[in-house]
Amino acid sequence: MSIKTNHVNLFEDISDLDYLGLTKFQSLLYNIIHFFKAIPSWLINLFKQIGKIIAKFFNSIVSDIKDIGTTFVHGDFKTKISYFVMGFGSIARGQIFRGILFFLFEVIFIVYMVTTGGYWLSKYPTLGTVSSGRQYDAKLDTYVTVPGDDSFKCLFYGTITIIFIICFVYTWRTNIKQNKINEELIKNGHSLKHAKDDAKSLLDEEFHKTLLALPITGILLFTVFPILFMVLVAFTNYDGAHDGYSNLFTWVGLTNFNELFNINTGNSQLSLAFGEILSWTLIWAFFATFTNYFLGMFVAIMINKKGIKLKKFWRGVLVLTSAVPQFISLLYISKMFAANGLVNGMMLRLGIIKDLSQVIRFWETPTLARITVIVINIWIGIPYLMLITTGILMNIPEDLYESAKIDGANAVQQFFKITLPYMLFVTGPYLLTSFIGNINNFNVIYLLSTGGPINPKLLSSAGAAGDTDLLITWLFKITMGAESKYYLASVIGIMIFVVVSILSLIVYNVIPSTRNEEDYQ
Amino acid sequence: MSKVKLTDVKKIYNGGVVAVHDFNLDIADKEFVVFVGPSGCGKSTTLRMIAGLEEISEGTIEIDGLVVNDLQPKDRDISMVFQNYALYPHMTVFENIAFPLRLRKTPNEEVFQKVKEVAEILGITEYLNRKPRALSGGQRQRVAIGRAMVRNPKVFLMDEPLSNLDAKLRNQMRAEIILLRKRIDTTFVYVTHDQTEAMTLGDRIVIMKDGYIKQVGTPDEVFDWPHNLFVAEFIGAPKMNTFKADLVREGDDYYVKAFGAKILVDGQKGDMLKEKHVENREVILGVRPEHVVLAKQGEGIDVTIQVNEMMGSELHLHTITTDGTQIIVRVPTVSLSHEERAKLTNGEMIRISFEGKVMHLFDPESENNILI
Amino acid sequence: MAEKKHMGAKAKSRLSNTIIYIILVVMTIVWLIPFIFLVLESFRLETTHQVGYVIPKQWGFDNYIKLFTKTDFPIWFGNTFIIGLVVAIVQTIIVLSMSYTLSRLRFKGRKAMMNVMLVLGFFPGFLSMILLYKVLSWVGLTGSNSVPGLILVYVASSGMGYYVSKGFFDTISRSLDEAARIDGATRFQIFTKIIMPLSKPIVIYTILTAFMAPWGDFMFAKYIAHAASDGMNVAVGLQNMIGTQASLAANYTMFCAGGVIVAIPITILFMSLQKYYVEGVTGGAVKG
Repeated sequence: MSIKTNHVNLFEDISDLDYLGLTKFQSLLYNIIHFFKAIPSWLINLFKQIGKIIAKFFNSIVSDIKDIGTTFVHGDFKTKISYFVMGFGSIARGQIFRGILFFLFEVIFIVYMVTTGGYWLSKYPTLGTVSSGRQYDAKLDTYVTVPGDDSFKCLFYGTITIIFIICFVYTWRTNIKQNKINEELIKNGHSLKHAKDDAKSLLDEEFHKTLLALPITGILLFTVFPILFMVLVAFTNYDGAHDGYSNLFTWVGLTNFNELFNINTGNSQLSLAFGEILSWTLIWAFFATFTNYFLGMFVAIMINKKGIKLKKFWRGVLVLTSAVPQFISLLYISKMFAANGLVNGMMLRLGIIKDLSQVIRFWETPTLARITVIVINIWIGIPYLMLITTGILMNIPEDLYESAKIDGANAVQQFFKITLPYMLFVTGPYLLTSFIGNINNFNVIYLLSTGGPINPKLLSSAGAAGDTDLLITWLFKITMGAESKYYLASVIGIMIFVVVSILSLIVYNVIPSTRNEEDYQ
Repeated sequence: MSKVKLTDVKKIYNGGVVAVHDFNLDIADKEFVVFVGPSGCGKSTTLRMIAGLEEISEGTIEIDGLVVNDLQPKDRDISMVFQNYALYPHMTVFENIAFPLRLRKTPNEEVFQKVKEVAEILGITEYLNRKPRALSGGQRQRVAIGRAMVRNPKVFLMDEPLSNLDAKLRNQMRAEIILLRKRIDTTFVYVTHDQTEAMTLGDRIVIMKDGYIKQVGTPDEVFDWPHNLFVAEFIGAPKMNTFKADLVREGDDYYVKAFGAKILVDGQKGDMLKEKHVENREVILGVRPEHVVLAKQGEGIDVTIQVNEMMGSELHLHTITTDGTQIIVRVPTVSLSHEERAKLTNGEMIRISFEGKVMHLFDPESENNILI
Repeated sequence: MAEKKHMGAKAKSRLSNTIIYIILVVMTIVWLIPFIFLVLESFRLETTHQVGYVIPKQWGFDNYIKLFTKTDFPIWFGNTFIIGLVVAIVQTIIVLSMSYTLSRLRFKGRKAMMNVMLVLGFFPGFLSMILLYKVLSWVGLTGSNSVPGLILVYVASSGMGYYVSKGFFDTISRSLDEAARIDGATRFQIFTKIIMPLSKPIVIYTILTAFMAPWGDFMFAKYIAHAASDGMNVAVGLQNMIGTQASLAANYTMFCAGGVIVAIPITILFMSLQKYYVEGVTGGAVKG
């Protein structure tokens, strides 16, 4: 089979009809060629999009500034005073409650900035200059600890102050916009909304604000801010030795990234360890996702087969095992496969192995440990996958199979021509989430093998790592370890983000599954 | 009094797709107006804008002189029946119908009286204690209508209410809606894709395509005087035959030349051509299948029968002329003798003709009726 | 001829069914064995070490008694139970608010919000722990006081796990909302009077998964509790119990007993609500 078929060139775009005329091999080839051909233009588009968003952002700032100016020029005295006393216009026009909120916010902001905010902001560029030390105190006639700067607090409160300033500017802008809107409403003879109307609309038109208030606050405080903070930490040298209090830490720019990628450092240990662990993480995620997926589907198909009795029982047993908290099964099985564990003990008793020297060291042999975690993960994952796939299998219209049978397809053909395409289509997004979940599958690895066996090759400035360590368990060990290299943990966290983002971008944008969204509906 | 007035109403979706273009319509008090058109023509969107379920991009909608653009559906005093009934599955029929009243904090006694009254009108009293899933499609539709009726809205909106029912039930419900309308006596706006429903229910019909109104008129008007080719083909079943022909003026008389035949345009249409001083030109000729008649040997046009459909009271003949144009003919079976019927089989050659006064003449370019 | 062929097909299907039954029986055994072993070993008295057999030579409840009297297990269990209970309530409220809003309300910034959350999800959740630990320790919610700290950590970001329940809400016909709006309901009334009564399966699913998650969490719990035994949950406590070779040898059978104690209530709860769990998983998980 040649790349040039009798009538089309696979390197060029071909029409849908010509595409249908290709053999399977040719169409696969065609897809691969065009996948790679599309990457440059796709990247260009991506950057264009990003550029557009940035341009839009700046445009809106420019038009905002213009609007702020014109509002001031054309506004009445209430509006003008509001530029300095937030909420004045609202109060003067009868929106007392709203006005008071604006005003209070301004007062709090000014008080904060004068008392502490300014101080933290001044510390931000250096993250502190004076470390705490012991000094002789003549009065007490002893050495006392003199508190210096705390880099952690400098970074923490400094970041909060910056966010607060941005919030203030936004609120100030809203306050001006409000004045403008109100002026226009009054000019057109409308009445303004009062606190009571606002409260009412929170249960109707603005109900989403009510519902989202709590979840979004939680996400902002416990996810967005910490992530932002940790991204900043990646550009510092914050670790156990530089905890910020007894020993200051400071900005180090891209040093940490250079270390990870062995740029100008001459010390390749860390980058080797990172490469090794990253590739095992991807291998693990691949096998963990797809073995579970196909075996789970296989089990579901077996139980679903016509003529198999006790369907509920078989399913029930599997589901039952997934009810037991995972850590119990994982810890127990981990010990079962230990060198002195049940499996080896039983084999010894049954005479499969002769003496203790022949014991199978599941967790101490690198390749075997890797295989074992994957196999045990199958045990863990099959019940869940069986449940999911059963639901989808039952949704495949029966007449598809009937017509396939009439067309002469046997069971195997039916699977490959109907069941599998349908499943892959419906579960496409699930496979992606599952893959990402496995990249970050802390529990299975840590509770089974704790990342072991320790691999001396992976010994680096980050501390020891094992052959089954994933990036996430490595990250955990780095933070929990004696040296607590927080900056390195941040860098690795960012790397996990980058890997996952790239994968997702490819799956979402390049693989054209969304094009046929309606096919199976 | 409940008039509805739409002025230059436009619907533009995010991304710039225009679903409705400059829609203008005055709906009189107690009028029954039907929006009809193929799917995607904007009829449902327009209805939903009246209901307040879609934002109005441009223009205004007034109900009783009050601009309702910024009003919530609940403040517009309208009610609506949905295609899929939209009954609340967890409530009994009684509670479904009572729901709008409950939300308005109507006293319990009044709720009971009103629901009972509505249920009696619709003949669903015995199901009041059931959940919707225990009802048949027709019964569900009645409950949905009941829920819409119970609070005497100013305007009654119906979005394809019959399209989920089977053909027989649909005919029955259609008749019931006509009866119901006499009882409720309010303004109706009804959306359907089915021209039969539109013709039988509407006082006036609004025919739409691609977001534009193609014609507004009474059923008689749109049937007898279609403004354009689209309306002509959309209204009436089987659809109107259309083909290219030449309009020729000979003195004060106009003739249409097609398939070698030459037919005089007589009656009102001939007079109108004269008034308009139309010159010789090409036209698209439209003739409804029921207006095509079998002609004697030596007269009319030669056609070959390709398919004959026996519909009972009439026969639909799908015929083809010598130059390949397809023409459908409706022949009432009552008037046919046995021998005549035997001749109307596939492959037979027959002769057909039609009278000048039933012809519709359209401009080939604009597809508009050249008489209007 | 025809009959013969017919017989052939029948015999073939009987053969394949037999093979399937064999596989299923083997699977059932493989899947149940660890739990049967776990239970058996928890009753063993003769030695606390790992041994090469499972049926105890001496039976008794000593391991259980020791677990409750000599270790902090009751505290761990109580901690986990309280965490589970509070998380189940608060997280359910948060997740349902979030998923309902994203599924059934339309507002400016909805798509953008979903995209931002998707991208945030690409960061490993553990990363934020470094900061959160520090802040929690400032306010004294780590170590022995881990319970409220852990609850905060579990609950606060739970809004990001809206996918499954959004998938459920997406399947409820939108015309119900529209009908209710026309009937005069506010969004709030639609939420309470129409959609919530229809959403029993997903509410139970959300409560169930929210309650069960803290029983299995190890990473966050370990980080926040560190070495403070009275701040641990069962997972960290039991793992700690067998963390080293020496403690493993001394506590192995007691660990088994602990596993049994934890597994029983969770399993019973799970099995009694299995119907809803299956509905949630098959209905929503796939849409991701």
